[in-house]
Amino acid sequence: MLNIENLKLSFGEKEVLKGVNLSVDKGDVVTFIGPSGTGKTTILKCINYLVEPHEGRMQMGSISVDFKKINKKETLKLRRNTAMVFQQFNLFKNKTVVENVMDAQIAVQKKSKKEAYNKSMELLDKVGLSDKEKDYPSKLSGGQQQRVSIARALAVEPDIILFDEPTSSLDPELVDEVLKVIESVAKTGVTILLVTHEMDFARKISNKVVFMEKGKVIEEGPPDQIFENSENERTKQFLKKFYSENKEVLEVR
Amino acid sequence: MNLEILWQDFLGILPIVPQTVALAVIIFLLSILIGTIMALIQEYNVPILKQMVILFKLFLRGTPLIVFIFIMYYSLPSVVNFFTGLLNMNYNAHNIPPAIILIVAVSLTVSSFQAETIRGSFLSVSYGQMEAARSLGYTPFQAFTRIITPQALVEALPEFGSAFLVVMKAISLGFMITVVDIFAQSRLIASSNSYYIEAFVVAALMYWGIAVLVVTLTNKFESRLLSKS
Repeated sequence: MLNIENLKLSFGEKEVLKGVNLSVDKGDVVTFIGPSGTGKTTILKCINYLVEPHEGRMQMGSISVDFKKINKKETLKLRRNTAMVFQQFNLFKNKTVVENVMDAQIAVQKKSKKEAYNKSMELLDKVGLSDKEKDYPSKLSGGQQQRVSIARALAVEPDIILFDEPTSSLDPELVDEVLKVIESVAKTGVTILLVTHEMDFARKISNKVVFMEKGKVIEEGPPDQIFENSENERTKQFLKKFYSENKEVLEVR
Repeated sequence: MNLEILWQDFLGILPIVPQTVALAVIIFLLSILIGTIMALIQEYNVPILKQMVILFKLFLRGTPLIVFIFIMYYSLPSVVNFFTGLLNMNYNAHNIPPAIILIVAVSLTVSSFQAETIRGSFLSVSYGQMEAARSLGYTPFQAFTRIITPQALVEALPEFGSAFLVVMKAISLGFMITVVDIFAQSRLIASSNSYYIEAFVVAALMYWGIAVLVVTLTNKFESRLLSKS
């Protein structure tokens, strides 16, 4: 359902993506792991064209684009078939919780207010925040804001949801509530692309893990292969380093 | 100070207040409109127009308003005549009322300041808001009207309040080209009865009253918008 070929992007002199290929099936939960600054988030933002790659082709469902000559219509199509959950939540500050979930349904999908409201309340109920309906985002904790933003993403019924480090800017004690919601979303069968540093969660939730480094996909496969039986030196090194550092943190605690 | 004269002057100047405020409101709204257009041209880097806007702003901000008003007073009719002549229209622009010339001159000058306020308030809206709207498939126009502008407005509101007062006071320069506002009216009354202090005290009190009203209103509106975010 999603096919990316030879995705290339540089910021000035720096090559960020050096020809990435990726293929995702419907209902897949794909997790991107790897050191910081290797282009994991950038791939996600290329898929909805928030970041503009210089080269590459992409097939998403029935939409097919060549990034060299993408037009505005195609851009809107890509965005209207996907939704994104941001590291910094990015809830609309001038709208209440329920308006945040409703707005795209009204503006983009042209639903009636009532229809949008009913769907929004249903989704807020799912993420456990229907009682915050009338609050403004600034009144909510980070975890609550992120759950609203997941409801906002679900509201437009996207084919693919892009999660960009959804727990990285949360206080540690708020991470779990958000991960639980993401897990329940994954169980609905929607296709998910997730960038995360939560290794255990990645292992548990995904059916495909992509290890990236320096703008390239180094290895991809089912979680067991990547986490247990990786043949690749770089993958092994990264995971070993990750787990030993985390162990130190736990010991210090 | 003569209290009876004070009261008489008050009654004499009061009828001109609505007119002055109306003039200020028109100029204020025009300056926001023109300021927004200039800000957009600069933000979107429109070639040629952008350089023109920058030069224009520099010129307006560096020229005393009274000088610009006189330039407009003596040149605007000929400019308009030139264009109507090109279009073969039979209109004598030398009949343009001086109030219109004042509106054009003050709107343009104030808009060069408004452009900066507006640009700043749009830049203060975080980039993430735009990204979120884009990711959901909003058209640029929808993102602009539904998400970005309401947030920018909260930032710009206090500045707009003081801009209105600047306009209000700038209009008094219209006296030089025969536009009658609160100040001009008080001058006319004073020169007819020779009680100068009374007339100008009344004028000052009226300006002050309007200022209090405007500041109260913007504060109220601002706190209402703030409670919503």
